[in-house]
Amino acid sequence: MTDIICPLCGKPNPPDLDECQYCQAPLKTAGFVAPPEGGEDADKLFPLAGKDAQPQDQAKEGGTTANLEQAIPDWLKKTEANFLDQSEETNIEEPAEPGEDKLSQRIDSLFKEPAASEIKKENAIDDDWLSSLLAEAGVDETAQPSTPGRVAGETAEQGIQEVEAPPQQEAAGEPAGEPEQEMPPAIPAEEKPDWLASLEAASTLKWEAAVTPPEQEQKPAEEKLPEPEPEPEKPPELPAQPDWLKPASVEEPPTSPTESEPEIAPAELPSWLEALKPAETVAPSPPVEDVSSADIVTAGPLAGLRGVISPHPSAVRPRKPPTYSIKLRVTDDQRARVEMMEELLADEEKPSPLPSPPILTTRNIFRIIIAVALLLPVIWMIISGGKSASPPQPGSLPGVVDFTQQLQSLPSGVPVLIAFDYEAGFSGELNVAIANAITQLMNKNAFLVLVSTTPSGPALAESTVESVHPLGNTKTYSSYANLGYVPGGTLGLSGLVSDPPNILPYSLNNDNVWTAPPLDGVTNIKDFSAVIVFTNDADTARIWIEQAGPSLRQANRPLLFVSSAQAEPLILPYYQSTPAQVQGLIAGLSGGVAYARTLGNVPQNGEWDAYSVGITVSILILLVGTIAGGVIKMASGGDNTDK
Amino acid sequence: MLEQIGQLAEPIGAIIGFLLTILVLSYVIGDNFLFRLAMHIFIGVASGYAAVLIIYNVLWYQVIVPVIQILRGGQETGFLTYAIQVIPAVILGLWMLTKASPRLSRYGTPVLAFLTGVGAATVIAGAVLGTIFPQVAGAANVLNRQAAPAELSSVVGWFINGVIVLVGTITTIIYFQFGAKTHEEGLPVQRPAILNYLASIGQGFIVVTLGVLFTGVYLATLTALIDRVRYLWETISPLF
Repeated sequence: MTDIICPLCGKPNPPDLDECQYCQAPLKTAGFVAPPEGGEDADKLFPLAGKDAQPQDQAKEGGTTANLEQAIPDWLKKTEANFLDQSEETNIEEPAEPGEDKLSQRIDSLFKEPAASEIKKENAIDDDWLSSLLAEAGVDETAQPSTPGRVAGETAEQGIQEVEAPPQQEAAGEPAGEPEQEMPPAIPAEEKPDWLASLEAASTLKWEAAVTPPEQEQKPAEEKLPEPEPEPEKPPELPAQPDWLKPASVEEPPTSPTESEPEIAPAELPSWLEALKPAETVAPSPPVEDVSSADIVTAGPLAGLRGVISPHPSAVRPRKPPTYSIKLRVTDDQRARVEMMEELLADEEKPSPLPSPPILTTRNIFRIIIAVALLLPVIWMIISGGKSASPPQPGSLPGVVDFTQQLQSLPSGVPVLIAFDYEAGFSGELNVAIANAITQLMNKNAFLVLVSTTPSGPALAESTVESVHPLGNTKTYSSYANLGYVPGGTLGLSGLVSDPPNILPYSLNNDNVWTAPPLDGVTNIKDFSAVIVFTNDADTARIWIEQAGPSLRQANRPLLFVSSAQAEPLILPYYQSTPAQVQGLIAGLSGGVAYARTLGNVPQNGEWDAYSVGITVSILILLVGTIAGGVIKMASGGDNTDK
Repeated sequence: MLEQIGQLAEPIGAIIGFLLTILVLSYVIGDNFLFRLAMHIFIGVASGYAAVLIIYNVLWYQVIVPVIQILRGGQETGFLTYAIQVIPAVILGLWMLTKASPRLSRYGTPVLAFLTGVGAATVIAGAVLGTIFPQVAGAANVLNRQAAPAELSSVVGWFINGVIVLVGTITTIIYFQFGAKTHEEGLPVQRPAILNYLASIGQGFIVVTLGVLFTGVYLATLTALIDRVRYLWETISPLF
């Protein structure tokens, strides 16, 4: 049976064990199979020795070097590292033994770049120690049995031989197999034929030449790099010194193209760590970078180094970036959820139409019933032109008689300021009184000055004056001036009161009416004989009373109002106050009809009858609605009580 | 041609008015497209009309035409007087236009402050002199014996009317009196009981006043409805 040498403790173990029976280190992965008795196992270990080394091209050899180094078992690398460490420590702490001097020289020879003239001789030396290694592995097997003690106490020379073995394997261009692999029988050095020795020498030369630059390029490096001093000459304190204090000779040997062993353990220890290391303690084996599988640089300034970035074009060759599919792999469930989310978002963006209210609701039904109840009698009265309802008496309404008397008392041809400050929607309510008032003024041949503080006033004023004619005359009344719109609200009105010519210098007909009679003497509002305001708004009436009232009262000029029924409650206190701030008032349709009655110009279009019927129907609707609401409330209250 | 168009203007206007009246009256069935269409037309027409009125009546006839007239007449004194009056107003008006821009809005604040201050002063002065003092004097003289009618039958009515006006004025003012004192800790703050009683009477007067105002609004609306119905009938009656 073949024993497995533990890579950690170096003791042999039976092959059926997975772990070392001494140190429990794993054996299968990195264990060394001890060579059994006989030459076959030795041949397995060193297959190159029994093979015919075929000369190959340099490029091929360079390519196979990395493969060969990869085939070096781990135990061999570790053994090499341990050996180097031990040899270093021995060199530093103790005087070198004769046998170890030889080793040091051999290691130095590895570091030292051989001269071109010595290559051949060195090859011969390599051949010698290789032959001895082969002899030890194969021929001298009986003399040196594979015992644990032997393996553990491997001499440094053996270590060196083992270290040197991989280049020999690389030179053969054949990857090293596993130790169990069938190997050709080794040939002792003494029995090697000449042709094999020459081939081995030639192969070594070629392998070295593969990593060696031309001789011309080596010369500068040889000149720069000094010869390493022998280790025994170092002072005892040398290990304690920092690395940078060491002479250049003890520094890391320069990279040489002929360096056959790139794995120099001392060069791997950082200088700062070397300085920190205590001198008394035995340093553990330094970490060794596994560069066995790295390529050796064959060209350039880094030629001969191993493990540096490969300058091979393939490393920098531009390649098309890998394409990744952007299509997500989604499951049906996820797809369904996404679709649901999309539907929800789409619904959020869509404006949801308001629910159309039903047309036939209780509220709409009541609205239609009330409208029909109001419209039918009104329409009937308008169509029939009813005259059954008697117009109101002027004396029964406050302000109508005074209004009539104030206009009647005006002298002929005097200027009268008329303000059209009502909206067109109230023209139906105010037109009766307005038309009769203007007619009365036309009959007095008054000069009408038309102004307005509302935008719609100028147009209403123009249309009203054009539609009204004095009694017995069908001609359009021309004694008036439409001054248009007074901007500024209260401020504009205040300016008009204080200085009308400056506020409204020209009429809408582009006439400067202030330079001609009867307005040539008007400089203030109190210069007008009367001021009449047609308005539907109580606030507008109040502003007129507040701004123009004091000046008019001071000049004893009447301020008269024709207002809507909705403004009457707020204007009436000004009329009924003592002293009165408003000298005449006609409010609403009833006031207009009463005023028309005093002038004998009551409209016969059925409006008054429709108005009367409409009020009556409205009162009935209010009564019926109130009674019905009470009954319903009582009924619902009874139901609640029953419940 | 223009005369023919002028003759057609009245019937066309009548038809447009008829249609718009129908559109507005369609509100009787609730808010609908026809009613909203009529409202949009009214708003648009009113806006356009107001813009034209401002340009034509205010800017043209109140600012530009006077300058042209003065320049035509060669009245240097009149021009100087007018310029002194109008140029500040024009400058303030142009200055006020900065309010249209959010970036320049703050520069128009002085003009706005000037207008607000002058407007407030005008309104307050008018309210004090034109409403408060005269109305207080009128309320104080409501039972003035010198203002009483000479006829005995009318005196009773005059007196009752004066008492109602006096009580209504006082109780309504008391209703708007919200001052109160704390009498005991933890109890809610209340007005004196007599004031509460009088305030309730004033509340009754306020309710009656609001009812009267609503009645006036209703009567105005009813009159407008009657006027529209009459207009519709006068528009379509020639067809029958």
